[in-house]
Amino acid sequence: MNIFLKSKILKQLVATLMISFLVCVVTGPSGSPTAPASGFTGSFNNKSSFFGIFSAPRWTLFVFLGLLVYVSFRIKLKYSENVSSFTDKVLFIPRKISSNQSTRRVTIGALVVFSLILPKIVTDHFWQTVLVSQIAVYVLLALGLNVVTGFAGLLDLGFVAFYAVGAYATAWATGSLPLPALFGIHIDPFFAIPVAIGFAMIAGIILGIPTLRLRGDYLAIVTLGFGEIITLFANNLYGITGGALGSNQIPHFAINIGPVKYAWGLAPVPYYYLTLVFVVLFIIIFSSLEHSRVGRSWTAIREDEVAAESVGINPLKYKVMAFAIGAASAGFAGVITAAQSNFINPASFTLYVSINVLVLVIFGGMGSIAGVVFGAVFIQAVSMYLIHTPPSGYQSQDLYIYIGALLVVMMIFRPGGLIPAKRRGRSTVHAKVQVTEGS
Amino acid sequence: MENIFDVDDVTLRFAGIVSLSGVSMHQKRGEILAVIGPNGAGKTSLFNSLTGVYQPQEGQISFNRKGQDALSIIGKKPHKISTAGVARTFQASRMFNALTTFENVKIGAESHRGIGAVGAMFKGPATRRDEKISDETTWKLLNFVGLAEKANLISSSLSYGDRRRLEIARGLATNPEVLLLDEPAAGTNPSEKIELAELIRKVRDDMGVSILLIEHDMKLVMSLAERIYVLNFGSVIAEGTPAEIRANQAVIDAYLGTTSTDREK
Repeated sequence: MNIFLKSKILKQLVATLMISFLVCVVTGPSGSPTAPASGFTGSFNNKSSFFGIFSAPRWTLFVFLGLLVYVSFRIKLKYSENVSSFTDKVLFIPRKISSNQSTRRVTIGALVVFSLILPKIVTDHFWQTVLVSQIAVYVLLALGLNVVTGFAGLLDLGFVAFYAVGAYATAWATGSLPLPALFGIHIDPFFAIPVAIGFAMIAGIILGIPTLRLRGDYLAIVTLGFGEIITLFANNLYGITGGALGSNQIPHFAINIGPVKYAWGLAPVPYYYLTLVFVVLFIIIFSSLEHSRVGRSWTAIREDEVAAESVGINPLKYKVMAFAIGAASAGFAGVITAAQSNFINPASFTLYVSINVLVLVIFGGMGSIAGVVFGAVFIQAVSMYLIHTPPSGYQSQDLYIYIGALLVVMMIFRPGGLIPAKRRGRSTVHAKVQVTEGS
Repeated sequence: MENIFDVDDVTLRFAGIVSLSGVSMHQKRGEILAVIGPNGAGKTSLFNSLTGVYQPQEGQISFNRKGQDALSIIGKKPHKISTAGVARTFQASRMFNALTTFENVKIGAESHRGIGAVGAMFKGPATRRDEKISDETTWKLLNFVGLAEKANLISSSLSYGDRRRLEIARGLATNPEVLLLDEPAAGTNPSEKIELAELIRKVRDDMGVSILLIEHDMKLVMSLAERIYVLNFGSVIAEGTPAEIRANQAVIDAYLGTTSTDREK
């Protein structure tokens, strides 16, 4: 018995197994008379499989994942020097590309060309829709949250609020809500873009001024509440927002000025190009902000607010600015969602969206624009693949387990994210150097 | 000579605990003034009251700017006071660790001028001119404190002595009239201390910035300060030149004991 209590590895293994079983039951289907412990075995109508490779009771998959995480943790502990030097070498490639001016230009050019011809490569209708409604929209959301959380270091758990404000502002401006249209006439969603961005930014300022006096966890809780309030408003204010049904009359984009006539219609590809233009625009604006005095001030506030104040930076002003600027891209994402699907309702703006966007930012690398874009594309594409062609036995509600496991592994091997930000990565890199020098 | 700081009967309480009680202090323009006293005497509280981090309940603090009306410090936000011309360093050096030495100082240099978010987004000629001025100021100050070679290092990789210099440069970048140094020599070795004292004197002599100093190293204080205030339990117990302070019985009882110079004798 003593051996069991004293052996560290055994204790850790038992803990890993218990967590695996817990997750297994919690995420499993509800039991039935024929499959009472369905969390472990899989329910009668849900034949379980091991990543679609072979059929096995449900728990094997979870034990496998738990052990995988545990083993990688042990490997990290034991061979941390070798592993991290190897992963550093592999994962240093993006940094190398970005540090050299000419290779960076070539890479960016190649990526732009690739994104331009992407709809020609991806011809499947499902995937073309996903490109707009799941990938491009989430890239926009991740870019916006990256300004708030990555640059300014403010943990925002209610980012969906700005997305919802953008979408509902579009619906209002186009006259698709029970309310009279915003400007009296039903304007086209194309011209609702500045309106929605403006409303989202104003929402950022209104939320920011009272709450950004709070720090850390308190701010996270208040923003969480704000996200919920917006969803509940949308749900409960029937006469204003259309209640739980939302609005399904939002027109598609169309330009109709004199000789210039273009209608976006039903096909996703035109939306893709419109969104691409705005994604590029937001990337340019955000990265020039990052390297300006505003970006430096955000970093200063994130690193040490008291010291930032002592050199004359008004923290509240810059934090509110981060909220408003981050909200802008979320507001635009709202316009795209509303105009492309014609339809919005409160169910599209839940806490899950906020958390999903935060996961994209953390996975990609907080404070790194390239990181969050790649992170968003990668995670959203994989999620959509699992929805589109699920391996046999895969249940859609398990998605977050896999993403969670992925995040845990990421945090062990690469805490800075896929492509760590220079301004964040540097401090950790140097801490490492100092430790090795000291020893 | 005109005073730069007039502190009159300042009392600062934290829920019944009196941190400063009726402190009065006057600093002449261009003076190197030191505040000494045992731990917990209220030295840093006084600094925090002067820079707006704490808000004293009673008393007056006025900061007399050159060619402008006196500014009443109490009730002002720290960033406003910094903009008005009061710079400071911290007891445990607080830098922006993720930024380079250069960027740390540049933040100080640019935070006082008015290029807003729009200017920062679309780098126009005005923004570029502004950046150029900030860069020049930054290089000038890095050369002044002797950190120019370390400009592109991450600030967290600097040694203690260099961090102190960096903080001084960052403070000076805000173009202050007075620089508040909170234990600048803490954690530095004897040769760094000598360099630091020279640097502080140079700041006053070359830049005309008044210095207010908290320090425990008596050698440094006695050689550097022109006048000294001694705090104990939140009140001023003595004020005078280094020689007067060294001879003051109340100060010897409360703080100095037998000073190192006495022991050498």
